[in-house]
This record gives sequence, C-alpha cells and structure tokens, in this order.
Amino acid sequence: MTDRIRILYLDDEEQNLFSFQALFRREYEVFTTSSVQEAIGYLNREEVAIIFSDQKMPDISGVEFFESIIHQFPDPVRILITGYADMEAVIDSINRGQVYRYVTKPWDVNELKICVENALEKYYRAAEIKTKNKELEKANAELERFIYSASHDLRAPVASIQGVLQVAKMEVTDPKAIGYFEMIEKSTHSLNEFIGNIIHYYQNTRDDEMIKKIDLNELIEESIKKCQAFSHCEKIIFKTEISQSTDFVADDQRLRMVLNNIVNNAVKFRDESKNEQLVSIQVISNQDKAKFVISDNGLAITQDKLPLIFDMVDESGSNTASSGIGLYIAREALKKLNGNISVTSNIDEGSRFVFEVPNKS
Amino acid sequence: MNLPTNIAFHLVDDNDIDIAVNTKLLQLSQISDNIHIYNNAPSFLASLKKDSSNFQTSYQIVLMDIMMPVMSGYDCLDELLKPEYSSFSKLKVFMLSSSIDRNDIRKAESYLIVQKVLEKPLDVYLLKKFLEDIFE
Repeated sequence: MTDRIRILYLDDEEQNLFSFQALFRREYEVFTTSSVQEAIGYLNREEVAIIFSDQKMPDISGVEFFESIIHQFPDPVRILITGYADMEAVIDSINRGQVYRYVTKPWDVNELKICVENALEKYYRAAEIKTKNKELEKANAELERFIYSASHDLRAPVASIQGVLQVAKMEVTDPKAIGYFEMIEKSTHSLNEFIGNIIHYYQNTRDDEMIKKIDLNELIEESIKKCQAFSHCEKIIFKTEISQSTDFVADDQRLRMVLNNIVNNAVKFRDESKNEQLVSIQVISNQDKAKFVISDNGLAITQDKLPLIFDMVDESGSNTASSGIGLYIAREALKKLNGNISVTSNIDEGSRFVFEVPNKS
Repeated sequence: MNLPTNIAFHLVDDNDIDIAVNTKLLQLSQISDNIHIYNNAPSFLASLKKDSSNFQTSYQIVLMDIMMPVMSGYDCLDELLKPEYSSFSKLKVFMLSSSIDRNDIRKAESYLIVQKVLEKPLDVYLLKKFLEDIFE
C-alpha cells in the first residue's frame, strides 16, 4: 500500500523498536531499524512523514543523525527520544537537528500517540504550504509572462500608428488635418508611455543587470531629450550640473529608468502659469555613490500626498495624461540598484527629488 | 556628408503598415528610392538566391523585423550564416522591433552582419546617422 503514512524509528535497543512497532503498525507503515545505513536507505526509497530517533546510540547520537540528513531530507518531522531529560541534548536537537519534539523514555503510550498526531498535522501543514507556494510561484511566472507578451503585442500597433503619423505629417499640408494628427499623436504618446512603463516594470522584476561605466553627461542629455521630444515643454529651461571625481559604474538600464521617470515627472507637472519654468538636474559622483538632485519650480505635491507618490496609486494634481506608475517604477528600480530616494515639495519652491545610487566601480 | 545615391534597401517585415511607412520615410527623407519589399524572411532568402547578382554592390541595406511568423528575424540571421549565403557577407542588416530589451540587443548584435537594433517606428535621422558612419 503506497498511500499509508510512513514512520521511521531508529534506536539501538531492539526492545524499544519492537514495542513501537506493535503500538503503531495497525495505523501506519512503521519501519524500525538500529542501523543508520538502513534508515537512510529507507528514506531514499520512501516518502516518510515522521522520523523518531533515539539520542543515545553507540555510533552516532540522535542529534547528529538528524543533523546529517537535514539537507537531504528536510520534509519529515523529526522527534528525538531521550532516556532522561538531557537539557543540553534537547537544546542541541532544536538548534542543530531542527527537532520538532522530544519524548522521554520510558514513553507514555498516550503521550506518544498524541505526539505522532501532532507531528502529522505539522507535516501536512508544511506540505500544504509547499504546494501553495509552488502554485503561487507558477501563477506569478505566468502573470509575468502574460504582462510581457501583452505589452509587446500592444506596443507593435502603437509603433505602427506612430510611424503612420510621422509620414502623414511629412506629406500632408492641410493645417486642419495636421491639427487632428497632433491630437492623435498626443493620445498615442500617452498610450505608448503607459505600455513602456509596463514593459519597464517587467524588465525591472527580472534579475539580470548590465553593469557598465556611465557617461553622466550623455545620460542626462538623453533623458532631457526624451522629454522634449513629446511633452511640448519648449518653455522649460533645463540646468545641468555634474561634479564627478571618478568613473561611475552601475546598471545602465535601471539608472535610465529612474532618471527618465523623475525628469519626466518634473516636466509633466510644470507650472504653465510661470514665465520661467525650471528643471535642474545636479549630480555629485564619487567612488562610493552618485547623488542625483532633480528640482523644479512646477506644481507642488501636497504634504498629504507626498508619502504616497511612490506607490502604485493615483497621482497628485493630475492635469496631464500619465499612467501614474512612473515614480513607482523609479523606486522599484532603485531598490534593485541598492539605492534610495526621497522627495520634498512646497508651494513656493516646487519639488525636489534626491536619489542615490552606489558606485560599483 | 551626403549618402551614396545608389543605396538599395531591402525591407523584410510581415506588417504591411510598417513596410508602407518605412518605404515612405526612406523616400520622403530622400535616402533612397531603390526599395525592395519582402513580406517574410523566406521570400527574402529566396530572392538572395535567385537574383544574387542584384546584391553584389556594397550598398545593400536590410531592415528586418525581429518578430515575424514562420521564420523570425533571428532565424533568418542564422540562415544567413550558412555557407550557401557566404557571398552575401557584405549585407548590412538593421534589426527592427516594436520593443527591444537588452537581450535583443545582445542577441542581435552578436551577429557580425547586424549593425544595430532599432526600435519602431523607424527614426530616419538616427538611421541616416548610422548609414553615414557605415559609408564614411
């Protein structure tokens, strides 16, 4: 019978093995032995729920036995049987042998039965958790795969629309038509940005990284250019200040994700009523880390929303199209970079984001 | 600098709209009027074999989509590595994709004939810059 619950009992005293067998053999499949080799052989052959072991044996102690099999057979519940309440052995067994219970000899039959029942319950609970975890991992992996393929499938037609718009704007001269194209372009851009964010989110959850020397000038210019290309932010004046003492090395793609999202955020929440709209990007880089400070004189984030802006929730004062997960992605990417980020904001001065990224050179 | 006037372009893409857009972009930006269209990778490979003399000048640019049914852009690159295509080693290939990540870049740029991986929609100014570098 394969579905019977199996219990293994290792003891050098034949008499104990015999009475244990007699006590449990009706209910369970009991394997008793005085040989460690045989015990391990049995564990290799069968799925065992509970292992009992005597502490005092001639060749090996019970604790040592448990300790020796814990990596190979982590699942069975381990119970130590001791001749007397040897505190040291008990403490040892818990720490080294990860023993669930200990039973003193001579055992009380009822106590032993309850002990087996409890151990079984623990065994099944652990097995259940293990199964659930496996299911969760599988569901998670499937979800990620879905996000990945969905965002790529969404991106393809958007890229086509953007291409058509590009050509249309080169060929068509009717100002009315061009006005409509620009409207389509604006919406397409929002959609594209949202899909881009999902793709970035997915890329960030994966563990691979591409560590390389970062050209800070190029990095910042690129991220400003990206914003200027789409945001109609001609009025914004970008100020860049870089102070660098040694090479700065980091995961290029994640760093771009962070900087682009923060700069994009500063641009998006510019204050259109101001004549002088500013976004300043300052970097101080040394051998330990690079510190980025991005400040603007745009719309302030209210104090109650400030702690929430990195969460995956709605964003403060949204008057422009945005998917609202850009800052969340920035923070998640920073976590992978072992960096940190903070933000301050007030109505007079605008917002100021500060983030630090360790230098891996 | 000015680009050579006789560059031939070979667009390999299963997406008709992207083919139409890229053709127009190349024409309107006056990069080339000599454009050949293939709706899938096998027909491009077949054309290489059939009209191999057409591909012998040094100004042959291939713009190839990565994600195509039947034979993907990568599969096509693998085909081109076979001895029977060795005479086309001068082809300059740009891989196109609507979304690229670093694995795509790593993978595509490991092929000698691949110049760059470009994201769709095609950025003609960027393409022009790369072409200038090639033909300098």
